[in-house]
Amino acid sequence: MKATAVGQAELKLFWRNRTALFNSLLLPLLLVPALMAADADGVPLIVGLTGFVLLMAVYYNLVTTFVARREELVLKRLRVGELTDPEILFGASLPSVVVALGQTALFAVVVGVTTGVALPARPWFLVAGVAGGVIVFALLAAASSAFTRTVEMAQVTSLPMLVACAFGAGLFFPLSVLPDGVASVLRLLPLSPVLDLLRAGWSDGPVLRPLIVLTVWIVLGIYAVRRWFRWDPRR
Amino acid sequence: MTAIEVRGLTRRYSGGFEAVRGVSFDVERGEMFALLGTNGAGKTSTVEVVEGLSRPAAGTVSVLGHDPFRERSLVRPRVGVMLQEGGFPPDLTVTEATKMWAGTLTSPRPVDEALSLVDLAHRASVRVKQLSGGERRRLDLALALLGRPEVLFLDEPTTGLDPESRRNTWELIRSLLREGVTVLLTTHYLEEAQALADRLAIMHRGRIVAQGTVSEVVDAYPARISFVPPAGIPLPVVVSEDGSGRVTVRTNNLQQTLHELLAWAHVNSVELSGLDARSASLEEAFLAIAEEAA
Ligand SMILES: Nc1ncnc2c1ncn2[C@@H]1O[C@H](COP(=O)(O)OP(=O)(O)OP(=O)(O)O)[C@@H](O)[C@H]1O
Ligand SMILES: [Mg+2]
Repeated sequence: MKATAVGQAELKLFWRNRTALFNSLLLPLLLVPALMAADADGVPLIVGLTGFVLLMAVYYNLVTTFVARREELVLKRLRVGELTDPEILFGASLPSVVVALGQTALFAVVVGVTTGVALPARPWFLVAGVAGGVIVFALLAAASSAFTRTVEMAQVTSLPMLVACAFGAGLFFPLSVLPDGVASVLRLLPLSPVLDLLRAGWSDGPVLRPLIVLTVWIVLGIYAVRRWFRWDPRR
Repeated sequence: MTAIEVRGLTRRYSGGFEAVRGVSFDVERGEMFALLGTNGAGKTSTVEVVEGLSRPAAGTVSVLGHDPFRERSLVRPRVGVMLQEGGFPPDLTVTEATKMWAGTLTSPRPVDEALSLVDLAHRASVRVKQLSGGERRRLDLALALLGRPEVLFLDEPTTGLDPESRRNTWELIRSLLREGVTVLLTTHYLEEAQALADRLAIMHRGRIVAQGTVSEVVDAYPARISFVPPAGIPLPVVVSEDGSGRVTVRTNNLQQTLHELLAWAHVNSVELSGLDARSASLEEAFLAIAEEAA
């Protein structure tokens, strides 16, 4: 597939970019102790780490990637080539996605083995959760890049999504401490259904509702990208 | 056969500004058509719509028989584009950037061949961010040629090139034209248009104000004869003075007027010192058009 040529180039750039390496490879690791202290159980740890990987390695990284390539006029140049618009976005997302998937798998195996987590009873929900999460956060990153003028600004413009998702999915404290109304609104944020699906891989949690919420977010993401994504720094 | 057909093309930017206002032209297969015009005339805005980057606000565009915006996937494999400003990831090397581009194409040339065409083979392992402005321009041209295009869009391809590189680029473009490639070029170098273009259009404020072959465009403007007039004797022709002591005669028939003037000088035994006679040049036509339209 032609888009992988862009993906390979992006992967080279990823290895040459210290900030991206730090954000996506080291940052989630630094969170391990915090998450361990919060809850010693294995499954919540795997779920929480996957959430951070989706937020940092996929969402935050891709916001900066899309903005950087747009401001460097790389997106504009690619757009006069043979690739279609979705192929360009897919190619540019590839390394972040590959790194995120690798990390998730690694965390799951390491944590699973060290804490003695049982194999997931319903692995398909894990797959659906991770795949849906990668897709939705790549789309949201593309949409956010439209409102981000410079790579530096990405730290600010991505913050609302990062914080809201992390709190909303109960990564810092369980949602049960909040009033019911607030908690159920927070469950509508995009990371929440992803993590619900992951948990459902091991337990008998609900899956229909998270699947629906996730699908709605993907549709909204596609709409937002088509509507607002900017290929050219000039406006 | 027509390679590019543009009819009544209008482009409006989001603020409502109309950068291109009803532009029409045709480019035949194997021909080079040049778009000239002052800064902001609308050349890039026009070319970008023809490339299919944007949908025209009004009018139609056809490239190789297809709508370049709606039938992008049919058109793009057959065209090569060099934007006025395009970018490559600064941390890739020249070879890596070229390989990436080759990977996106249906039938690319070998990477080495493309780099040699633009004399960049010796810079192959240098990072893009370390290239000079002119080298980056040539890399852009290499990528535009990588897919062996039938139609080539070149938006100011030689801006920032040293004189030697510019000549080499002209040679390269000439050889492409000989192979039958169709070229749509914009440039501020009038000698470039004069040397390469079969036909050209001059744009001003979003409109085409003159169009045709170089001689068709230039012939609409009078030739000039200038000299220092001999004292104490009335001249046989209408002249204009510019205060420098020289006078200028404008004529649509240079040979006839010059003959009359020289015969008169001979009969009256006077000297026309500093005599200078020239046909209108593209530059004069360009400047006259820019002034007229201003
Ligand atoms: N994205 C944009 N939004 C608003 N106006 C724009 C945009 N791009 C260009 N323009 C305006 O459209 C006009 C035509 O610009 P264009 O780039 O087509 O000119 P040009 O003939 O290529 O000029 P140059 O020779 O300087 O490259 C200019 O007045 C410019 O300011
Ligand atoms: Mg221009």
